[in-house]
Amino acid sequence: MSKIIIGRYLPGSTFVYRVDPRAKLLTTFYFIIMIFLATNWQGYLAITIFGLAAVVATGLKAKVFWDGVKPMIWLILFTALMQTFFMAGGTTYWHWWIFTLSSEGIINGIYVFLRFSLIILVSTVMTVTTKPLEIADAMEWILKPLKLFKVNVGMISLVISIALRFVPTLFDQTVKIMNAQRSRGADFNDGGLIKRAKSVVPMLVPLFIDSLEVALDLSTAMESRGYKGSEGRTRYRILTWSKVDLVPLFYCIILTILMVTTRML
Amino acid sequence: MSDKIINFDHVTFSYPDTESPAVKDLSFSIEKGSWTALIGHNGSGKSTVSKLINGLLAPDDLEKSTITVDGVKLAADTVWDIREKVGIVFQNPDNQFVGATVSDDVAFGLENRAVPREEMVKIVAQAVADVGMADYAGAEPSSLSGGQKQRVAIAGILAVKPKVMILDESTSMLDPEGKQQILDLVRRVKEENDLTVISITHDLDEAALADQVLVMDDGVLIDQGIPREIFAKVDLMEKIGLDIPFVYRLKQLLSGKGIQIPETVTSEEELVKSLCQLNLKM
Repeated sequence: MSKIIIGRYLPGSTFVYRVDPRAKLLTTFYFIIMIFLATNWQGYLAITIFGLAAVVATGLKAKVFWDGVKPMIWLILFTALMQTFFMAGGTTYWHWWIFTLSSEGIINGIYVFLRFSLIILVSTVMTVTTKPLEIADAMEWILKPLKLFKVNVGMISLVISIALRFVPTLFDQTVKIMNAQRSRGADFNDGGLIKRAKSVVPMLVPLFIDSLEVALDLSTAMESRGYKGSEGRTRYRILTWSKVDLVPLFYCIILTILMVTTRML
Repeated sequence: MSDKIINFDHVTFSYPDTESPAVKDLSFSIEKGSWTALIGHNGSGKSTVSKLINGLLAPDDLEKSTITVDGVKLAADTVWDIREKVGIVFQNPDNQFVGATVSDDVAFGLENRAVPREEMVKIVAQAVADVGMADYAGAEPSSLSGGQKQRVAIAGILAVKPKVMILDESTSMLDPEGKQQILDLVRRVKEENDLTVISITHDLDEAALADQVLVMDDGVLIDQGIPREIFAKVDLMEKIGLDIPFVYRLKQLLSGKGIQIPETVTSEEELVKSLCQLNLKM
């Protein structure tokens, strides 16, 4: 149980893995903005091809991405169907009470479906190929301008990295406490919602006390190792741009040109 | 004075909201390059001493109590200089692992000291290799054993080149094999880096490795001497609730039966040899 993976990172070796996490994070944001530039079928075709290209480039099985979309599939279908049946325009094929099935409606339903699915797909490309720690580093880099507003970015990033580092530790502790409670007859799986929620309390209290103890120990250890606050520290782990990062850059440029030209059609 | 690296002079310390002090009028000194064991049962004040040495705790009255580390007197403005000189390996392997990976953790102390990155990379690689963890440099703590995490903690201390290394119950959460490996490692790096080692422990097998043993009870230093002399005081050890190492216990039981084993016998091998010789004489 101790080898729990936080986030959904899957090890791999394609070039997507070697792209700097900052580039991946920015490209993901940029791609999502670009999706909203698509207004016609040419635009959606272009963005879909680009989205699928990113998916294929990860070299991972399709199931990984299906697992990403699956939890959201009902929400996506519901929204797409709302668009289909409530939007009128073009040729009307069918009409009953407040529901209308029209050519415009069908096309819009498909667009909404594509928009949602693409957003989830490209975010999945990002999260499965980037370690949580790398994402945290990338976020820190993006937050850097906040230093101008006296935000202590160095401390925020240390907090995030320590939090990520202690997730498996606290998870192990939870399992230990659960087993200890089980061995004394606690039941975490039976009963209604309220009964189950109640059975979590005797687990949370020791976990909470334990994490306070960890925090105290850790602060003692950090202080004895010379931690005086985040000012005036150097960094061991740094991100460096490489040639591979030109790929997402060109990807974004070509995508922008395509999206702008298809809008003009 | 020059060969004494740590000096405690009439040190008294009380935790807030407690009636009696955890450490009472404590005076002792530790020689440079030596290995000192500080023993005592839980709550005897031995861990408090380690925190006093590097200024994590400050004595009640800095006027009357003097703590000197490598010639520097502990005061509010020297506490960071003293922390440069003292590294502590704590008890819980998990709760002192700050970095996300082995290398990151070893680098933590260097980052705090604002060491330039190019230098840091070299020092970290060297320290990780020194403790035999080179194959795990990129590993995350959740994939390491307790003993491996303590090795990383030692590497983190070696990286900043202190004068004194304190083992604060560092082996108490490890299995016997892990414990032995850590002690062997400490012995090796002590010689290589010219360190002074202070091991705070209630495990007398660990204390037996020391040049000097300090015995604490209820915040007071009640005895000090070489391990052989201290362990021979069986009544004292039992009074403060510590388990005497096997060899000393056996020697005591044998002497009760009228069989005298020489004072110089301190290891299991020597005892076996001595018993065999005894057998020959009979």
